[in-house]
Amino acid sequence: MSFSPSLNRYASHMLTKKLPPLQSFLSRFSRHTSHLARQQYDVIVVGGGHAGTEAAAAAARVGAETLLVTQKIQTIGALSCNPSLGGVGKGHLVKEIDALDGLCGRAGDWAGIFFSILNRRKGPAVWGPRAQLDRQQYREFIQSELLSTPRLTVLEGSVEELLVSEPNPEEPGHHRVTGIHLANGSQPISASSVVLTTGTFLSGSLFMGQSTSPGGRIGDAPSSAGLSWTLRERLGLRTGRLRTGTPPRIVKDSVDLSLVEVHPPDSHPTPFSFLNKNIRCKPEDQLPCYLTHTTPGVEKVVRESLHLNCHIQEDAKGPRYCPSIESRVLRFPGRQHQVWLEPEGLTSDLLYPQGLSMTMPPDVQLRLIREIPGLHRAEIHTPGYGVQYDFVCPTQLSPALQVKSTQGLFLAGQINGTTGYEEAAAQGLWAGVNAARWALSMPAVALSRTESYIGVLIDDLVSRGVTEPYRMFTSRAEFRTSLRPDNADLRLTLKGFEEVGCVSALRYQEAVRVRDSLQDAMAALQALTLSTPIWRKKLPDMRMSENKNTLVNGMEVLQYNDVSFEMLASAFPECLSSHKEFAQRIKIEAVYRPHCQLQKKEIERIQKEENMSLPQDIDYFSLPVSLSQEVREILDRVRPTTLGAATRLQGITPAAIVHLLNYVRHRGQEERRTHRQQPEKREEREEELAARNASLPQ
Amino acid sequence: MLPSMYRGLWRAAVHTLRASKGNPPSRFLSTCNGVSSGLADAETIFALSSGHGRCGVAVVRVSGPASATALSCMTGLTRSLPAPRTALLRSITDPQSKEVLDRGLVLWFPAPHSFTGEDSLELHIHGGPAVITAVLQALGSVPGMRPAEAGEFTRRAFQAGKLGLTEVEGLGDLIHAETEAQRRQALRQMSGELGRLYQDWSHKLKRCLAHVEAFIDFSEDELIEDGVLNQVDRSVCDLQAEMERHLKDERRGERLRSGVQVVIAGATNAGKSSLLNTLCQRPAAIVSPIAGTTRDVVETALDIGGFPVLLSDTAGLRDSPDLVEREGVRRARERVEQADLTLVVVDSAHLPSDAQKAATILQGHLRSVLPTQEQPKTVFSADRFLLVLNKTDLLPEEQRLKLHRELRLVSGLPPVSLISCHTNKGLQDFLTVLHSSVKTLCGDPLSGAPTLTQARHRAHLQQCFAALAQYQRYRDIDLALAAEGVRLALTSLGRITGRVGAEEILDIIFKDFCIGK
Repeated sequence: MSFSPSLNRYASHMLTKKLPPLQSFLSRFSRHTSHLARQQYDVIVVGGGHAGTEAAAAAARVGAETLLVTQKIQTIGALSCNPSLGGVGKGHLVKEIDALDGLCGRAGDWAGIFFSILNRRKGPAVWGPRAQLDRQQYREFIQSELLSTPRLTVLEGSVEELLVSEPNPEEPGHHRVTGIHLANGSQPISASSVVLTTGTFLSGSLFMGQSTSPGGRIGDAPSSAGLSWTLRERLGLRTGRLRTGTPPRIVKDSVDLSLVEVHPPDSHPTPFSFLNKNIRCKPEDQLPCYLTHTTPGVEKVVRESLHLNCHIQEDAKGPRYCPSIESRVLRFPGRQHQVWLEPEGLTSDLLYPQGLSMTMPPDVQLRLIREIPGLHRAEIHTPGYGVQYDFVCPTQLSPALQVKSTQGLFLAGQINGTTGYEEAAAQGLWAGVNAARWALSMPAVALSRTESYIGVLIDDLVSRGVTEPYRMFTSRAEFRTSLRPDNADLRLTLKGFEEVGCVSALRYQEAVRVRDSLQDAMAALQALTLSTPIWRKKLPDMRMSENKNTLVNGMEVLQYNDVSFEMLASAFPECLSSHKEFAQRIKIEAVYRPHCQLQKKEIERIQKEENMSLPQDIDYFSLPVSLSQEVREILDRVRPTTLGAATRLQGITPAAIVHLLNYVRHRGQEERRTHRQQPEKREEREEELAARNASLPQ
Repeated sequence: MLPSMYRGLWRAAVHTLRASKGNPPSRFLSTCNGVSSGLADAETIFALSSGHGRCGVAVVRVSGPASATALSCMTGLTRSLPAPRTALLRSITDPQSKEVLDRGLVLWFPAPHSFTGEDSLELHIHGGPAVITAVLQALGSVPGMRPAEAGEFTRRAFQAGKLGLTEVEGLGDLIHAETEAQRRQALRQMSGELGRLYQDWSHKLKRCLAHVEAFIDFSEDELIEDGVLNQVDRSVCDLQAEMERHLKDERRGERLRSGVQVVIAGATNAGKSSLLNTLCQRPAAIVSPIAGTTRDVVETALDIGGFPVLLSDTAGLRDSPDLVEREGVRRARERVEQADLTLVVVDSAHLPSDAQKAATILQGHLRSVLPTQEQPKTVFSADRFLLVLNKTDLLPEEQRLKLHRELRLVSGLPPVSLISCHTNKGLQDFLTVLHSSVKTLCGDPLSGAPTLTQARHRAHLQQCFAALAQYQRYRDIDLALAAEGVRLALTSLGRITGRVGAEEILDIIFKDFCIGK
């Protein structure tokens, strides 16, 4: 199959638009890659999207010699679809990635041209930091970050094959990954770990109207069939098929902006990164977004063109929450649907119509958008198209995102059935961390769903699997009141440095400072214990309802809706004014702490169960405990990695859990006995690496 | 529903929110000051730990940090606790109404010298159902207390390292048995009027939560009108009112009859109704030679050797084109699923004389009685099934003796009794077998007594009700905390109606709203 003429034309058009400003970066990369002398790395990351870049950077931060292989260096860090980052749930992920020293938060602060906090009036636990991005600046930031990351090499090439050998008998798994073979490469490149982040390129097909062509993104060559073959045939991995799409890009000058609603950004932009006090763009230079809506004419065009639209007729699963305009009007006919027009960059002459992803022929796309207020004379720069692609059923992965049956093979991003930049980046970071730890003989690390959205994401993927592209929502997190965007650093940065090794000393020191300051401030508030009448006198505006002469401390007073930390600080400047830097965080802590305390016990119970790991080589059918055949079958099929994961499985009875618990305890005791006889080498290595990591130049 | 319910049983109720209409600060005073940190976070559980039926004394056990509070507020021992492990005769009163419920023995076991290793309390009270119910409900009204889940006392003992190796081995099976008993008990309650009410509440709560969640996760970019929340406000208000009425209703809805549930089941014309009539010594059910005479469930209360038994006769199991009969068969299957003990009646005249062949056919009968989803892995445990071969008067005596002799040697069959409802031959032997089964079942405090399930349901409903107050309190201040209230309410109710997962909520969201982001 070859590219249909229409797709090709647009593809080359897009390329020429992108190339010029990237020349300088390209030349720096070439220089970097030219002295590629080694044929051996600790970690190879395949793919340069959101998952791949985070994976490569994280692996290098942990201390692994890392190689990033991508088809085209200039598309590293490209925003293939919407020019935005964050949102409700997704913004939580960005904050967590940043807390683990990932790239996307800082890249967002660098490239953002419209910042807003969604859900501002709904409570800090569900605030959604979000930004519109300048595509070019985002790419530049990611590329220059990767370039300056020690131990990281970038190589342009197409992976022809994944090299696999016999497994290490001491570890679970049927295979072991040994490296990759490039399409043009003479020699294989070997590595202990390989992270695949191929996005929509795994057996990807592009759809527009009635034409289809192989590929994962318009303008890029399809990836090699060898990789899909190895995953399916050689490694025996189960795959499924999903679809997604992207809207046409619209020429800004052709839009009548007087007919659409203007939505301005926040006048005081909040940066994503815990390291940044400000964003790069001047607040007053931010660009607005615009809102318009569909009309009955849009529905008519969709219905009339259904026979010309083969993407919509295929039965691969698309996301329910990011549907094409076709499925929106078909599923909810007779309604007005929102269309957001988003800026693509400070100097870009394009607008991105959020909510108008479509796959009909280009001439019909034009007819459709011209039915929308403000777009009556709009011109399409690049038409929308659909993508169908294979994903690997993620239940075949461990919580470290390693393929259970293949030692050293990690998967992250859309290949695991997710959608969205933030979801991909989060997995990439965690797969990169674990790929590096595997290569360096350090034990795998897991993030619990009780401590992070990344943990929720990974646990949902590996223990439940996906039936449609998976996107993060705050409603997926049981402990939403504890997992807030504001406290991601306290939840993850400390652990990221102390236990994981993916956080720089600089960031760690900042997180420690924040933690200590917050503790001091809260201690000061608690020490401020006064009787109700005195509080009333000090804070006359507060509606304090206690009538009795009871003692109330500052933390409790701060829980009142109409009390801010600033109010308290001006009433008690001597003991509180020094803590004003974290006024907002202290207020949030005061309000949420009681609720988090209520959740603490459940969280501890889950964590305890998650800490009891179930051996992966267990033969559930011959396990000498009393389990029903049905339970054995479920356990054998899913192979939960921890007792906690087993508890969440459908069909597992409490009795089965008790039997497993007994078994794990017995086995643990036996292992400890043998353990004492053989001093563990891994721990030494880990200490050595942690020391090395801590002393790295920042 | 089952797997999720298992999970509900396993998970201890976490959030014992107390109904309080005060302001947030006052409510959290204790937790903020750290007064109730540490041990006080653990919950205190209670349960009836003796059997029911012909017992003069019932034992109620309490374990956990609030045991001392329960002890002092129910016995009036406010100054000092009684000497450890010493029986003390006291009046037992309701902590709220101060009404004297009973006079009984009180034993105090301070940690760690107790079965569970925690502070524990035993109340030895009179065995009547009214007293037991009153004491359990009074305990449930003490803050921080809730009814124990299946096997929870033993599990706590296990965690405290108080169990021997063999006891630990048996723990899983014990929990299995208790879970099963609770499951059957819950099924009985859920199949009635009350079950429909709880399901309806659960459905409404799910929609409320879905709509609040949609408003949180999507409203900024989507066309989700503010009216959505007003609708939720109304629903929450209505639900609160309904629950309050329900919790205050002294009649507690339908009163379930106490007793071991014994169900007669089998093919048509095997003589099930004759067996019922024989057992209750009166023509309670219509009998006729026409297959399919019994169409609805016929229920009779019996006393078997002093133990209360609820005996139900059901429609014969067969595929029938008749709508009424089909409904009867459905009800029969439902009863079998809820039964503590099932008497499978078989027409012995249709059995081959060879014992092995007869056994195969009998196993077929057992399987046809079982609910379809339990097949084929269930073992026909002796304590849940009895085989009754009826119409032995139609058999030649030597064949009857041969079956009687050989069938008891076949493994994999529950106890077999050969009787004739016509001549009453073999009836005495059968009654002995039935009596011993019923006796075993009555030793288990969980079978037959609806009180415990009711107490548990009540505790969960109270938590649910309290959690809805959190929604009201935070509705205009912090929607995330308000949503948390609805979520807690649904979790509490889910312990009765089955757990609701995040995916189910998302399904409602995507059905009700067009999310296009």
